[in-house]
Amino acid sequence: MYGTIFNIQRYSLHDGPGIRTVIFLKGCPLRCVWCCNPESQSADIEVGFDASKCLYGSGCRACAERFGRETTDGATLIGREELNRMTEKTAYCPTKALFSFGKIMTVGEALDTVERDEVFFGKDGGITLSGGEPFFQSGFALALLKEAKARHIRTAVETCGAVRGDIILESAKYIDYLLYDIKHLDGEKHKAWTGAKNAEILKNFEDLCRVFPSLLKLVRTPVIKGFNDDIIDDIRAYAASHGAEFEPLPYHAFGTKKYEYLGKEYPYVF
Amino acid sequence: MSKQDISVQKKELSPQEKRLLGLERSKSDGRVERLLAEFRNERPSIDIERGKFFTESFRATEGQPLVLRWAKALYHYAKNATVYIDDGQLIVGRAGKQGRYGILYPELDGDFLDEAIKALPARESSPFDITPEDARTVIEEISPYWKGKTFHEALAKALPEDTFRLTYNADAEHSSRFIVNETASFRSSIQWVHDYEKPLRVGFAGIRAEATAELNKLDEFSPIDNTEKKPFLEAVILTADAIVLFAERHAIEAEKKAKNASDPLRKKELKELAEICRNVPKNPPKSFREAVQSQWFIQLFSRVEQKTGTIISNGRMDQYLYPFFKADKEKGILTDDAARELLECVWVAMAQYIDLYLSKAGGAFNEGYAHWEAVTIGGQTPDGRDAVNELTYLFLKSKREFPLNYPDLAARIHTRSPKRYLHEVALTVKDGSGFPKLINDEEVVPLLLSKGASFSEAYDYSVSGCAECRMPNRDTYTSPCAYINFAAAVEMTLFNGKMLKYGDEVIGLRTGEVGDFKTFDEFLSAYLRQQKNFLKHAFIQQHEIIRLRSEHFASPLGSGLHALCMREKKDIHSPHIAGGIDLGYFEFIGYGTVIDSLAAIKKLVFEEKTLTLSEIKKGIEHNFEGYETLRARLKSAPTYGNDDPYADEIGRLLDREALDFTVKYSEEFGVHLDLRLVPFTSNVPFGKVVAASPNGRKAYSPLSDGSSASQGADVNGPTAVLLSNFATKNYDYSHRAARLLNLKLSPSCVAGDSGTEKLVDFIEAWRKLKLWHLQFNVINRKTLLDAQKDPEAYRNLLVRVAGYSAYFCELSKDLQDDMIARTEHVDF
Repeated sequence: MYGTIFNIQRYSLHDGPGIRTVIFLKGCPLRCVWCCNPESQSADIEVGFDASKCLYGSGCRACAERFGRETTDGATLIGREELNRMTEKTAYCPTKALFSFGKIMTVGEALDTVERDEVFFGKDGGITLSGGEPFFQSGFALALLKEAKARHIRTAVETCGAVRGDIILESAKYIDYLLYDIKHLDGEKHKAWTGAKNAEILKNFEDLCRVFPSLLKLVRTPVIKGFNDDIIDDIRAYAASHGAEFEPLPYHAFGTKKYEYLGKEYPYVF
Repeated sequence: MSKQDISVQKKELSPQEKRLLGLERSKSDGRVERLLAEFRNERPSIDIERGKFFTESFRATEGQPLVLRWAKALYHYAKNATVYIDDGQLIVGRAGKQGRYGILYPELDGDFLDEAIKALPARESSPFDITPEDARTVIEEISPYWKGKTFHEALAKALPEDTFRLTYNADAEHSSRFIVNETASFRSSIQWVHDYEKPLRVGFAGIRAEATAELNKLDEFSPIDNTEKKPFLEAVILTADAIVLFAERHAIEAEKKAKNASDPLRKKELKELAEICRNVPKNPPKSFREAVQSQWFIQLFSRVEQKTGTIISNGRMDQYLYPFFKADKEKGILTDDAARELLECVWVAMAQYIDLYLSKAGGAFNEGYAHWEAVTIGGQTPDGRDAVNELTYLFLKSKREFPLNYPDLAARIHTRSPKRYLHEVALTVKDGSGFPKLINDEEVVPLLLSKGASFSEAYDYSVSGCAECRMPNRDTYTSPCAYINFAAAVEMTLFNGKMLKYGDEVIGLRTGEVGDFKTFDEFLSAYLRQQKNFLKHAFIQQHEIIRLRSEHFASPLGSGLHALCMREKKDIHSPHIAGGIDLGYFEFIGYGTVIDSLAAIKKLVFEEKTLTLSEIKKGIEHNFEGYETLRARLKSAPTYGNDDPYADEIGRLLDREALDFTVKYSEEFGVHLDLRLVPFTSNVPFGKVVAASPNGRKAYSPLSDGSSASQGADVNGPTAVLLSNFATKNYDYSHRAARLLNLKLSPSCVAGDSGTEKLVDFIEAWRKLKLWHLQFNVINRKTLLDAQKDPEAYRNLLVRVAGYSAYFCELSKDLQDDMIARTEHVDF
């Protein structure tokens, strides 16, 4: 069993209890306009290009040699479509100006990496699945959770909830701590800003609360001006009524650069 | 949705940063704050009395046994040195002028003292002031006597030519070459710690009585007893008299001051002081206050006696002071606050003593007026139980609230350390000044046992200096050790024994031109031959150092406090003392730099074949200017500090090769010379002789520091740094000394209660990995940049440099840049 992972981040301190190692799975059903991880949206491996790191101007031959072009201006040389076909070649870029978002890994490889950090997990820490939306690769996510449990590693999942109910309920058997995003309580507004209605998200959450009442849950809401900043208290009350903790997350614009790397426009202007 | 999307932790400031920004007012403005205000902003000055009185005495005692001469010099000092009692101080005794002061040790550097004194006020690292009159005394009276008599002159003469070439430049001062560097000529002992418990138990009257009894037992017809043991015991007696006289002169001064004091409270304090100085250190203390004063007299007098590397350590203060603390608390005559105030009066006294290095090499080794009179807390009792007590917590509290970088607090951690202790240690770390450093019993105790210690000795070790650990009555090795620049060995491998800085001179071995290396193994064995050659010369140095030191240095105070010296009636600086365990080391400078350089060559030249060694050489010759792509490629290779087995396996091999050398050769002279990775600040001066390196490091910039990753190379976070450290150690060998590991954390990493919990988890993981040492810097990178721009506003900013914290603004620009360049681990 394998899947597409775009990052394994060690020593994560704010993605569940204790010190954690986070596996970021690629692919997401939502398209939130403020999204700060555009590289997480597509489930495919993508190529990023950071023009500021490209050394063409000072004589780098890497792209020219590998891709058969003569150039003095690398930043505009390679078209976007061509770039996306270059995933194999990114390894040759010496400055990592050209790089891959995403790597195919097996369940065993991913957990072996996590297990290296086991000594740091203490009484609370462990693995956290994040994304993207981890259940976008549902079979892989479930296999990762099962393998983590088999290795006696505590599990947490960060989910947007926009997944099939049976998948999330089956997976929850292997989850110790759930970080659940609820972005809005109004379906239309939710659709306008994320591309999908929220009925399934709320139903999944309520089902989870009913079927797994003792599962520790933290509801999180990115606070987005003009979208949900006026209803944070409502979401807090909603979370409380289902016995979940609540944490609002302030917006940041760290993702702007990543849109550039992908050759995309950032749709949200703060 | 990931945390990456939408989390901005509010930028947290450490308590220290808040204090600097005026967000948090210093809690009290009591006695200690007033004492601190007296000297805070003044530049240190040089006090010449120690140098002057020692020189006077040595002139008068030529030809006598050295240990006796030393005792006579101490007595001459005790009788004549100016006695000071600072206004408001509860603990008295200083070895120099008011304010911050450094003192002279002309037996070390007297021959070039005159030149050095002229250059001092302008020196970039750690400048000092001296009055013109004192300067004249140094130049006309002190320095001339020592010319031709100092240890470093004798050592330079003794070294074989090829060893000399790796050690010194060919100038008159024998300035350091920073390749195979000796450290024995700018201090007369390696870091050291006394058994303070004994003088607190029996007083110097007791030590004097013991020596007198032994003297009476000597065989009056034995030549050895007459020429060696007798002068030794006489020296111990005279030294006991000297320290008691020194204390008594303080009693007289206190009485005089009491008579003139107008403030009735101060009058009372001065009268008490007079009484205390009459009782200690002559007799066992009657109270906690007397115990603290007695201990301070001993460590102060030890500073006068000799220049110990990093200054004499304080040992397990929470253990040997505890009986006095407990008794006074039970009697109801001592509160926690009063006890803490007394300790802080000692910290103030320590902070005013400056470790003055006159040679350029010494100053560069210890930037920022560094000294580490390590105070050990926690750990285990000699019978293997947890040693934490109420006084331990008081030391931690004092460290959180006392604003200076003294003392250097070292917390011993073991598997049964109480949770409360771990939490209070974590809370103290969070304060931001880098204390305490952590030392791991689970690594240190088994190693001490493997060297022949008993369990009770091993459990009772004290942290000494930067990160070393000593058993005060069992350790007998005082020869300062070699610091070896292995990044220079990489350069010599590429340049067939030469270095760019030194042109055509062949300094290392001729291991072949780069075109001759067909495989990585060939290149690696050429490097290993250079490495081995450095080790050979380091060991030759050490052999000569051990041989020569006893002709130049003696320590009747330190020897009188040492059980084995008293039993054998031998000075601690003797080449060998029966029953002792000789724990020395050799220092591997540039560990991360060398690993990363070899990894880059292995990967790019011999595996991917995308570069040649000649291209790398060209890039190095041009310091990568015009070779940016080459440099980028080199930097993209696997690096140490990322839990990457590719690099870590190379690290483990380098470690093992060096260990194999010492296994084979240190036995020859009966000393444990163990591999150590503790650089002080010397990774900066050692970097200044090495051209660009194959890991993309620019020419003459700092080498990697201790067992830390190359600057900025550790991109997988601090857990990976620890795992790489673990992976590069050879746990099947016992020939390893300290490995120093610095981690810089942003305050937001450890904010709040959950941040403390996670810090405790991290410390526990470090303990399980059996790593020797760990210390943190909790600071924002931006704070350091701001401080560099506006030093006046950040005068009090403390940062962790190596084994110690220093004022950031007193470090040289190079070292500041180095601190900033080290990766800051922000929370992800």
